Amino acid sequence: MKPENPILAGLALVAGLLFLSPVLYSIWMSFQTVDAYYAGELGFTLDNYARAVGQYNFARYLLNSLIVSGLVTLIGITFATMAAYAFARYSFRGGNFLFAATVATLMIPSHISLIPNYLTLAKVGLLDSYAGLILPAISNGFAAFFLRQYIRGIPKALDEAAYMDGATSLQVLWRIIVPLSRPAIASMALYIFITEWNNYIWPLVAVGKQDLYTLQIGLARLYRINPGEGLIDWPLVMAASTITILPVLLGFLLVERHLVRGITMGAVK
Amino acid sequence: MLRKLTPYLFVAPLMIFIALFTYIPILASLNLSFREWNFLSPDMPFVGFRNYEQLLASRDLWNSLWVTTLFAVLSVPLRLGLALGIANYLVRESMHVRLLRGALFLPSVTSTVSIAVVFSWVFSTDYGMVNALLGTFGLGKVQWLQNPHLALWVLIFVNTWKQIGYDIVIYIAGLQAIPRELYDAAAVDGGKRLHVFRRITMPLVMPTTYFLLVISVIEAFQVFTIVNVMTKGGPAGATDMLVNLLYEIGFVLFDIGRGSALAVLLFILLVGLAILKSRIIGRKVHYEA
Repeated sequence: MKPENPILAGLALVAGLLFLSPVLYSIWMSFQTVDAYYAGELGFTLDNYARAVGQYNFARYLLNSLIVSGLVTLIGITFATMAAYAFARYSFRGGNFLFAATVATLMIPSHISLIPNYLTLAKVGLLDSYAGLILPAISNGFAAFFLRQYIRGIPKALDEAAYMDGATSLQVLWRIIVPLSRPAIASMALYIFITEWNNYIWPLVAVGKQDLYTLQIGLARLYRINPGEGLIDWPLVMAASTITILPVLLGFLLVERHLVRGITMGAVK
Repeated sequence: MLRKLTPYLFVAPLMIFIALFTYIPILASLNLSFREWNFLSPDMPFVGFRNYEQLLASRDLWNSLWVTTLFAVLSVPLRLGLALGIANYLVRESMHVRLLRGALFLPSVTSTVSIAVVFSWVFSTDYGMVNALLGTFGLGKVQWLQNPHLALWVLIFVNTWKQIGYDIVIYIAGLQAIPRELYDAAAVDGGKRLHVFRRITMPLVMPTTYFLLVISVIEAFQVFTIVNVMTKGGPAGATDMLVNLLYEIGFVLFDIGRGSALAVLLFILLVGLAILKSRIIGRKVHYEA
């Protein structure tokens, strides 16, 4: 690393802040009272958060988002890892076809399944339920593809040594493949979590009961039910928006490098 | 016997879910697109190609196709061009570069609804940030989201702002893969910066460009969240993109047949685009690890 040029560093900092200024300003606004905001004065209050959580149910939405994204991630990454292991280590009849079918899902626009999935879940009575939110999101072709490529890079001799010692294939997966693929599994889990956290169109159509809204739906509704332009309670909306951004933002700050590496591994080579 | 079954047991859970929620729905959509149904009536009669005929005869569909194409054609080159330029600067390693990279990348993992809401405020007429800025220069208020000529540009801006960090990160990885010796050789030959960029960087980063081109075009044709939150397709259909139209027909009008027909058209369009691209550029992009 070269020593820092303080002028360049300062400019970069300013550029970054300028780029993020709409979001930073929205966070600042969430701590203003409505009256102060519209009067152009300064104030500080936590009242917007109190109202978002109390009156507008955002604690519940936060919980829903955590439950839905958490379960989708857990089940999704488990299924993807299992399939990736089989695709990487076994040659079996139909295996190439199934792998191609998995990779092909990357090209298929998800919106083709919107209406049929809605009808299927309506038929089995799972609209307006956690299961209805979770089930259609579980299969993740990209994660399976990505992990398969990664697992293929792990020397096969390790598996064979374990089999010699009498290990079962499940043990090989759990004791050798999973620990050695940890960085790849972690970035894919993160990718699934973020994608699901930000999912909008499916919960929008699948959920009508307010108690099952995810944060995305709750926020969009809160913004939309406010009456016309100019009368919007922006500080309240921004408090809700901040609640929606915050968990992913904190996660991002913790694991940024991991995430970037995962994304890049997937795209280039 | 069990040994032979093992791989099938491992792939079964994923394959079952892919079949149930991806492949069977494609066939179901196809089936529904030939029927008339409003979700409530007891039967769904077969109507042949009527849903397709109605769609293709409607102004809404052609408007949507036009608006979506415009969005893709305008936003994708903007995104990729800016991203490559910025990545070319941010490819070096230092503390401030890392901070800037982080700042630029942040929106791409942030909630799209939040961003749409925040930018609805930024571009709102009476209290928005942009009009306030214009005001300090003595300029009048602009109705960004209510003006049919401007609303699409606002969406393009917001989409670019959100996605560019991802493009930059991918480009940086692509740039890092270019052998240093090439630049050293160019420096010895006294190559000008712009010249080096055009003759070395651009061609060698081409596979990355193709990759980003493919995914960003496919993404552009499926934009929905910012439309739904910021404009609802308005004003006067100026931002009524394809998925928004699909949502309106399917889940607001509950015209399941026509909605499915539109879904099938979207599917053909996007898969066709993907196949066409892989045909043309297949040899130049390598995914194999």
